[in-house]
Amino acid sequence: MDELELLKKHWQKDGVEDRQLTSKQIYPMLLKKSSSIVKTLFYISIGELAFWVLINTFPFFMSDTYRKNVETIYGDSLGLTILSFLSYAVIVLFVFLLYKAYKSISVTDSAKKLIENILKTRKIIKYYVVYNLVIASLSMLSGFYYASKNDPGLVAKLDTLNDTKLLFVSLLFIVFTAIFVLIIWLFYKLIYGILVKRLNRNYKELKKLEV
Amino acid sequence: MTLNKELEHNFVELLEKHQNIVHKVCRLYTNNYDAHNDLFQEITIQLWRAFPKFRGDSKFSTWMYRVGLNTAITLYRKSKRTINTQEFDTVQFKISAEDYDDTEEVQLKLLYKAVHQLNDIEKALVFLYLEDKSYKEISETMGISEVNARVKMNRVKTKLRTILNP
Repeated sequence: MDELELLKKHWQKDGVEDRQLTSKQIYPMLLKKSSSIVKTLFYISIGELAFWVLINTFPFFMSDTYRKNVETIYGDSLGLTILSFLSYAVIVLFVFLLYKAYKSISVTDSAKKLIENILKTRKIIKYYVVYNLVIASLSMLSGFYYASKNDPGLVAKLDTLNDTKLLFVSLLFIVFTAIFVLIIWLFYKLIYGILVKRLNRNYKELKKLEV
Repeated sequence: MTLNKELEHNFVELLEKHQNIVHKVCRLYTNNYDAHNDLFQEITIQLWRAFPKFRGDSKFSTWMYRVGLNTAITLYRKSKRTINTQEFDTVQFKISAEDYDDTEEVQLKLLYKAVHQLNDIEKALVFLYLEDKSYKEISETMGISEVNARVKMNRVKTKLRTILNP
């Protein structure tokens, strides 16, 4: 006999009789909190948004010296205002995309569609992190360049260096920026790698069936 | 009775009646009692959340298969609690391959053990097959074509045979 036919014969009655719950036991279960992956992803995405917004604005509001420095070095340039406006527009855009993505996740979809929608949500968070890392490295590098031309203290210090030393300082700064970006990227890869490992595996398995 | 209370009452009544479906999903995807209860809890929450949208145009049980399997395959993350109870394997399946004889009971135990070795997607297919679902329903639940569901099911059967007779 086919192995599964044998199992099927016993399947309906096997092993679950001793686990029957009464409605009294079910009611409290409705009040418990979910620990689903969607919820975890949601909290992480909120965390990511908050983290980058804080990184970008915290020093400006917390430290008077920092604010004065920024104002003296960059002045009230129109470029900076436009850039700040754009960066907030990007945050709003990502919040909107994330909201839409979360709304599309439905537990009553087919298994494949559900996994696709969750992975799509994760991708949006990934783009947001990539965007922030690019912006962070660009602003670190351009900030250094701009300050080396406009910050009187730094200009005076750099003037004392010869060309080789200047090149060395610039390279050091580039390497420092690269390491900073790399560490954040690895940290991010680690978190999501663990979180969506099973999801990716199951999605690959379902995709394989389509070939 | 308020509308909300009525909804809750209907839901609990339906779940109590059809709870075996959820228990069977849990049995397939977990290895011990604590994990079983944990997954049962999560499926219950997911069912309850989706319940207001349940229109009754499909059977409650059919709808449960989908939410139950989706939770087990995709949404469920193992609880942070350290789970340290005896595994089903040691409780229920004490017989190893050496003691194999032809009695149905022994064969069944080995079969359960073999099914536990399948991956998440294969388990879902086996589950729906054991529940006597049509290939149409299996394909809709999993999001793959009917032909592919059939092909995969045959492969799973072969895989099970290989696990049982290495």
